[in-house]
Amino acid sequence: MSTQPEPKNVKAARFSPAAGAASFFRWLSSSRKKYGGEWWIMIAGIVVIVLILTMTVFPQVFTRYSPTDQNAGGQMTPPSRDHIMGTDNLSRDVWARVVYGAQTILGVAMAAALLSAIIGIPLGLLSGFAGGVFDRILSLVMDSMYSFPGLILAIAFAAMLGPGVINITLAVAVVYIPTYFRLVRGQTLSIKEEVYVEAARAIGARRGTILTRYIFPNVIATVVVILSLNIADAIMTEASLSYIGLGLPAGIPDWGMDLSMGKKFLPSGIWWMITFPGLMIMLLALGFTMLGEGLAEILNPRLLEK
Amino acid sequence: MKKLSVVVLSVLAAGVLLFVVACGGTKSVTTLVYGTTDKVTKMDPADAYDIHTWEIFQNISAGLLMYTPGTATIVPGLATAYTVNATGDVYTFTLRKGVKFSNGDAFNAQAVKWSIDRVIKLNGDPAALVTQYVKSVDVVDDNTVRFNLKGPVSYFPALVATPTYFPMDPKVYPADKIVQDVNELTGGEIVALGPYRLTSFKRDEQAVFEANPKYWGKEPNIKKIIIRYFADATTMRLALEKGEVDLTFKSMLPSDIKDLSANANLTTYPIPGQQIRYLCFETSQSVFKNKILRQAVAALVNRPEINQKVFLGQNAPLYSMIPAGMSYHTEDFKTVFGDANVAAAEKLLTGLGYSKSKPFKFDLWYTPSHYGDTEVNMAEVLKAELETTPLIKVTLKNAEWATYKKQWDQKQMPVFLLGWYPDYVDPDDYTSPFAQTEGSKGMGIYFSDKAWDDLFLKEQGATDDASRNATFAQIQKMWTDDVPTVPIYQGNLYVFSKKNVTGVNIGATLIFNYSELKFTK
Amino acid sequence: MRHLLNYLVTRILLTIPMIFIMLTLIFVVLRVMPGDPVSAMLGGHAPQQVIDEQKAKLGLNKPIAAQYVDYLGHLIHLDLGDSMIFNEKVSSPILDKLPATIELTLFGLLASLGIGIPLGAYAARRRRTGRDYGIRVYANVVYCIPVFWMGLLLQLVFGVFLGWFPISGRTGPRVDISSFTWSGFYIIDTLRAGDMAVFGDVLWHLVLPALTLGIVLSGIFVRLTRANMLDVLKGDYILAARARGIPERRVVYNHGLRNALIPIVTMLGLQFSLLLAGAILTESTFSWPGMGRLLLERIYLRDYPVIQGVIIVYTLFVSFVSLLVDLLYAAIDPRVKY
Repeated sequence: MSTQPEPKNVKAARFSPAAGAASFFRWLSSSRKKYGGEWWIMIAGIVVIVLILTMTVFPQVFTRYSPTDQNAGGQMTPPSRDHIMGTDNLSRDVWARVVYGAQTILGVAMAAALLSAIIGIPLGLLSGFAGGVFDRILSLVMDSMYSFPGLILAIAFAAMLGPGVINITLAVAVVYIPTYFRLVRGQTLSIKEEVYVEAARAIGARRGTILTRYIFPNVIATVVVILSLNIADAIMTEASLSYIGLGLPAGIPDWGMDLSMGKKFLPSGIWWMITFPGLMIMLLALGFTMLGEGLAEILNPRLLEK
Repeated sequence: MKKLSVVVLSVLAAGVLLFVVACGGTKSVTTLVYGTTDKVTKMDPADAYDIHTWEIFQNISAGLLMYTPGTATIVPGLATAYTVNATGDVYTFTLRKGVKFSNGDAFNAQAVKWSIDRVIKLNGDPAALVTQYVKSVDVVDDNTVRFNLKGPVSYFPALVATPTYFPMDPKVYPADKIVQDVNELTGGEIVALGPYRLTSFKRDEQAVFEANPKYWGKEPNIKKIIIRYFADATTMRLALEKGEVDLTFKSMLPSDIKDLSANANLTTYPIPGQQIRYLCFETSQSVFKNKILRQAVAALVNRPEINQKVFLGQNAPLYSMIPAGMSYHTEDFKTVFGDANVAAAEKLLTGLGYSKSKPFKFDLWYTPSHYGDTEVNMAEVLKAELETTPLIKVTLKNAEWATYKKQWDQKQMPVFLLGWYPDYVDPDDYTSPFAQTEGSKGMGIYFSDKAWDDLFLKEQGATDDASRNATFAQIQKMWTDDVPTVPIYQGNLYVFSKKNVTGVNIGATLIFNYSELKFTK
Repeated sequence: MRHLLNYLVTRILLTIPMIFIMLTLIFVVLRVMPGDPVSAMLGGHAPQQVIDEQKAKLGLNKPIAAQYVDYLGHLIHLDLGDSMIFNEKVSSPILDKLPATIELTLFGLLASLGIGIPLGAYAARRRRTGRDYGIRVYANVVYCIPVFWMGLLLQLVFGVFLGWFPISGRTGPRVDISSFTWSGFYIIDTLRAGDMAVFGDVLWHLVLPALTLGIVLSGIFVRLTRANMLDVLKGDYILAARARGIPERRVVYNHGLRNALIPIVTMLGLQFSLLLAGAILTESTFSWPGMGRLLLERIYLRDYPVIQGVIIVYTLFVSFVSLLVDLLYAAIDPRVKY
């Protein structure tokens, strides 16, 4: 029987996820000492994201109203104790629509970013690794797509596919595939020349192994950063699409759509219908941006040029 | 760098100053600027079937017969007189002499016949107004024209007063195709017979009207009118409040109407509603081909709630396709269904085997801008009302007007929202276009029932009030059983103007005669 | 000079395949989609025969490969086809609305530069002070503000509450635009017509939309300018200038800023895409009659040829601007080797 209390993380080290989490926290606190400002920015971003994620998963904690309840209160009443963001023109509680709208926008943005990553990363790895004509052509295609205004691409896809959650996710996802592709390809190209990769080849490692065991893990760090910034961008794109009416059908609470609905009532002095959904879009995008940029500075300050 | 910013700023400042200074000298007060959010569809009477394009034609052209402004009284127009034969199916019109088109071409019976034949041939949207009644047109002589009808029609003079019957210049309009824009016409201008000429038209931006010196009738008070097309009601409201437009007509949002009506600097002209809004069902092959389901939906509609939520109480619930204030109006939908009659609806639905776990699912369609920005709200409220019972699940879908029309033609919408402005002031115009076999096809309802058709023919041919009253009473009662459409509300239209504008004289016909407008000073 | 010419040629040759790929992508996206545009357009009035005729007319009944060849062939002749909804050529509304978008984009760019660069330079000069941090916070936050929300807020505050600026359109309702329209660029047209009141009115209407774009995109220029300035200010020639006794302000702004601006030129090219995207949202918010609104309108009307035409024009625009920017950069920066 030990008389000394076991340090927490030793005990936790028996289970891999906990060990991982522990070392993550250790790294976090050491980087805090190193990086000052950027660290706090990243933490701020994480706080915002976690808050809004909670809103997504447990909306009932935040509001007792339903976003589609058309008898929540009076019609177009300003913010009050009962309705902290007021009610809209169909007597729905604005705060409730904001809370439930988080599900929509976050869901679409994260799914889209993930989808882009799932498609773009393997393509980038393959292209950078294989080289040759395949690489040249694919790069050209991806570069063209990348230089094209993303929103217009999303609009074109959304217009062709029609409204609906899946369609809008696809439309947003398409826009960011080149981002992951370019990044991963660039990284692959430089890592490919590293000595340890050459060594792996020398000992006869198969190409697939080199890709998955040597190159990919080194790419992950950047990918995480890009993922975060990408989600921020995807949020803005999704909101833009629903604002111009190409997004989701009426009925699903959505911040962009609520903005376009609320703008009709501006001259009547009803400011709360547009202020809050817009603020939320900004906060959410900011959260992911801060996370991404903070992470970028911490992981490798010279990594991103923006 | 700083120098550049300084330069840029001074240019802006200069422009601002100049603008402010020059603002003193505004445009001459003999031009009226009229704002609207409506859109022109096609600049062709053979195809135009919306109230705004009709309004334009009613001011730049004329019919054989017309209405005294602000009333539903039919008076001579391009025709000075007409006679009807004994059986009521031949109308002979004597045309006014010496009338010329605005480009100097002579107006005669040949032009009348040519125009009617063209409408029949091109078979555009409003063609039924002609083809359903007119068999042929004969030129008797230069100043006499004869309409041979398929049967007696008691309201034929009202039909003749619609823009679809307006004579156009054969040298300007192409005989074989529908014209969309003014620049497609020979000579690049609509050459017509009304108090105004359309001198400039830029789609969705502006239309400029100037007094027609060749007009055969009374000269208009205001010589130049500019219609300014607004993309949305909000901007139009602000423009009106700032005095940038003199008058607005269609369509302000209910919140704007509320604020503007209370504005002491503006005059409000409420035009009591001959405009109706309703739900249409595709009755031939969609999920709604069973009339029980149509009845269920009808029972669930909560008209007062829609009126309050969407329109801030500015309209009136409607319980029959024939609006209140028109002859023969009844309240059958109220007596049979009432509002938000969840019990009745559920009884009907469970009778067909629907339950909470197996709800009745369907798409409800609306068009987001043709009827104003409130449409999506009305759809949302309707959806909530229909889903008061868990036995129904509604998915909202929408399409822009042009697509919407095509979709109802193609039977792609099981139930959809629609609106109606009167073509002619008669209860027939609120009923037969939806339920008589021919008309119903054109509206996407595809309802066809011989008993109904017989009743319609009966009232169309009848001339005595009592007989028509009885027929319409029967039709309205049958409406609550077969439910080809569900009436929802009848609406008021609003004209807002500056205090110095008078002469806004819009009656039951919803015809807006610009020539009546006047500036007071 | 010969170097420049070489570069020009190489660069243009590179642009062509990129444009080609984009056009192919556009073709693929717009053809391989669900729904039949022709029956949607003709509706139930038309019997199958008419639908087939219309399809033949639009070339939609040929195999995809043949359609592709047709498509490219037309494009080479600069023929964008005819609108499916209105009796007009696709190029007609595009040429009509393009100047409006260009004017908006240009002024938006000017605004973002006009806000971003001075702020960035100032932040560099006042490095590590509260003002520096404040400006950096501004730069980061502002990029996350949705363009249309910014527009709505500006409309609310300056248009509705204060009433200082108009919130939609290019000119006021009382202005008869047919009286001066010539090129479509109202700034030029009104000056040409000598109508100063309307010129002022046009500028007035540009303020809020340009600010909307300008504020949201200024963040990037703030950061870039600041970063570049900080780099540049470390340079030897700056030290030399200071040693010569030149006042600090001139050192920073005249010597420092000029050199810091060079990378900004490249950034302009990249930001142009963002500008165009933002312009669509701004046009929607301010009811600005430009290409963005045209695109949205025709999407609702399902006018595929025009949708395709607009996207093609955007593609060409972006490629052209990026080419221009690269050339500019090559011309300005003597260090660029090609």
